[in-house]
Amino acid sequence: MNLFFRRSIIAGTGLFLCIFMIVHLSANCILLLPEEIARGMYNAYSTTLRENPIIKIVAYLLYLSILLHVIYAILVTFRNRSAKPDKYAINKTEDNSSWASQNMGLLGILLLLFLIVHLANFWARIKLGMGASVGLDAAGNVDVYEVTSSLFHNGFYVLFYSLLMIPLGFHLNHGLKSAFKTLGFYHRKGLKVLARVSVIYASILSVGFGIIPLIVYFK
Amino acid sequence: MEVTFRIWRQDNPTNKGGFINYVVDDLAEDMSFLEALDHLNEILVLRNEKVVAFEYDCREGICGQCGIFINGRAHGPHSNITTCQLYMRSFKDGAIITVEPWRAKSFPILKDLIVDRSAFDRIIEHGGYISAKTGTAPEANAILIGKGVSDKAMDAAACIGCGACVATCKNSSAALFTAAKINHLNSLPQGKPEAHQRVLDMTTQMEKEGFGHCSFTGACEVECPEGISIANIAEMNARYFKAKIFG
Repeated sequence: MNLFFRRSIIAGTGLFLCIFMIVHLSANCILLLPEEIARGMYNAYSTTLRENPIIKIVAYLLYLSILLHVIYAILVTFRNRSAKPDKYAINKTEDNSSWASQNMGLLGILLLLFLIVHLANFWARIKLGMGASVGLDAAGNVDVYEVTSSLFHNGFYVLFYSLLMIPLGFHLNHGLKSAFKTLGFYHRKGLKVLARVSVIYASILSVGFGIIPLIVYFK
Repeated sequence: MEVTFRIWRQDNPTNKGGFINYVVDDLAEDMSFLEALDHLNEILVLRNEKVVAFEYDCREGICGQCGIFINGRAHGPHSNITTCQLYMRSFKDGAIITVEPWRAKSFPILKDLIVDRSAFDRIIEHGGYISAKTGTAPEANAILIGKGVSDKAMDAAACIGCGACVATCKNSSAALFTAAKINHLNSLPQGKPEAHQRVLDMTTQMEKEGFGHCSFTGACEVECPEGISIANIAEMNARYFKAKIFG
């Protein structure tokens, strides 16, 4: 247990979550299709995921990654706070670093809140069978599309799901490039490319996840 | 020009400190910041008051002694300079200038603006050197080093140990300092024989000294008088993992 170990856990789990979110966003794009096609495809896709044994392993890895990411972020924050017990009367961090890099913890807390609501909306209802029961579609698959569609026709949830993708973008932009550096990627030109890739990646995910609820709402 | 210095005064490491305002009205714009503090101290002496304790040595930007946090920035409002390279023309007439010591648990305040940076010395003691027999200087061309390698080592060796990286880092991480010292020696053939042990020992000491984690805000490379890149920290991380696996 040392500085490198703790940071590496956060970086490694973060990168795994970054890959997961690409797959997640790709699946969300099905929601943009016309309803009659989207319903069947979306439900068939989610049924395939739930029944695939490999995906089950990946799902457990995912739960583990989220837990470790949060736990180690807390451990790291405790150590960091104790290393800087007294703050400056004036500290112009905006002159030497990005706002996101200084506030990853705050962004992380917002994302954790989002995640709790998101899991309550979908995971708890579909996988754990909590709350109102979910029906089947014409093909006999669990109608996850209906859960999603009804959620995204509720103005409050649409705003919640869309607005909280802004902190996601900032968190990912700093997190992606930092994770590579934490894990020892130090090629100078590569780091410049990495910085650009991080901006592009974070923008696509943030805008992509954020705009789909709005499109479904207004469709 | 007239400025108000709002200076952190603290008698000793255990006493609680606080800010005291000093108005100085006969400063010249061409004075360095340290000369302005000297002038303030001359006034305080004449008034029979305690002078403001601050550190300096070379006053030409190479010794790393004059670390002061000025108006929310390490070494003042400009990037990549030392405090002695800061001039009063960087401030407006009538400005209030907040002057604080470096703040980090590993750099306890000794008096006023002076902090104890010996944590850096102890990190150096754990491998920031090469084991070589002393004697006459070796023949210059006995060990050939490529220009690229020597430039890179020199860029890292430029670290003057001022502590601005720790001071500005929200986590008080000493990663940039330690990385500079490790990369300087480990990239040269002279440093290779002890490369793995050096990384492990120096980073272990860094941890023991109570510094925080590096979260790559990048503030350190902006405040570093030598402009040492944070790519050095990523390189130290790579060297650490390599040492753990192969060391």
